[in-house]
Amino acid sequence: MDLLIIAQAASKGVTDTGITDAGKSIALGVGAGLGSIGAGIGIGIIFGKEIESVARQPEMKDELQSIRWLGFALTEAVAFYTFIFGLIAFFL
Amino acid sequence: MSTKAKVWLGIGGYFAFFILMLLIFGNEGKNDEFKPQNEFKLEPWLNIKIGGIDFSINRAVFYLALASALTIATMVWIARRMQQKPNRVQMAVELAYDLTRNNITGGNIGETKVAIRWFPFLAALFFFIWFSNVIGYLPLPTNTQETVDVFGIGVPTFAIYAATANISFPLVLTLVVWVTYNAEGIRAKGFLPYLKSWLPPGLEDMNPIGKGFIFVIEAISHFARLISLSVRLFANILAGHLLLLFMGGGLAVLLGIAALGALTFPMAFFFFVLELGLIATLQAFIFATLTAIYIGGATAESH
Repeated sequence: MDLLIIAQAASKGVTDTGITDAGKSIALGVGAGLGSIGAGIGIGIIFGKEIESVARQPEMKDELQSIRWLGFALTEAVAFYTFIFGLIAFFL
Repeated sequence: MSTKAKVWLGIGGYFAFFILMLLIFGNEGKNDEFKPQNEFKLEPWLNIKIGGIDFSINRAVFYLALASALTIATMVWIARRMQQKPNRVQMAVELAYDLTRNNITGGNIGETKVAIRWFPFLAALFFFIWFSNVIGYLPLPTNTQETVDVFGIGVPTFAIYAATANISFPLVLTLVVWVTYNAEGIRAKGFLPYLKSWLPPGLEDMNPIGKGFIFVIEAISHFARLISLSVRLFANILAGHLLLLFMGGGLAVLLGIAALGALTFPMAFFFFVLELGLIATLQAFIFATLTAIYIGGATAESH
């Protein structure tokens, strides 16, 4: 229902601060939430594959460890990009 | 009583405590005075303006100076009193040195002249970012926003703030790294061959228009490294500090429900351990590793 009101207000060009604030909050929440889903799946894949590879070749464990942290940090950062863009939408 | 029953009793008691607190203190309504973003606001302590540019000393500058002083002091101190039989601190620093020497530099550039030339830079980058991340989690009384009266004297509240939670610091480091790896690539190959080396291998028999198109994409990806490298560090630390702020009581103050603090505070402790133990080191490691990868990629002879 709230979304409908916002859509109507947007189509009429209403610049009420309450509605803009609500839209910004929704942008931050939904954007950061959806971004976290993707990063969560990615981190799961990385750790799952690492466990799988160590189970197959335990002698590779040390080499895989640094690659795992690299992949983890690179994937995790994606969630924070959406978070930062959400913050930009919220505060600007 | 079995272990399972004890666990359930503990959880039940915890929630009963929460509900009891909720009944005692109740809901005070939303607090509009508390602004969480003020926790990251930079108040100038010492106004210095030279030619319209703001050189004011504020919290971020203080943390930056503290981090660099700590980096230099620790490393010089350890290097001065090296022993044949290392004590614990020397062991830890030797471990970190080994990580930067073999893992970050050796693993990504290889044992070449370039690696020897840029190893000090990469190690300094790692230690500097590590120190500025870690002192960000020590609560220092540096908050000028809020003060607490102790016997009539205004004492600044303990605040956790990291210089890396401000975009300008990672951005400057990223600019240094970006200029460095491009300059090193140009020095190793010459200007035009370096630009040509941006193209991925296997495009020898492609027409010039397609090559140009791919070159534009590669150029965009090189400029996107400026954003990705800086925002990764900045956003990780900022999100960690926001989590600690909200979980450690900010949420309870903001919503006016004091009892919520009983629920969120254990989570704050968990996040504190996670951030200090994993994220602070990992982000410094990632920054140095990616720098090494960029330098290694720019100077590699052939793909």
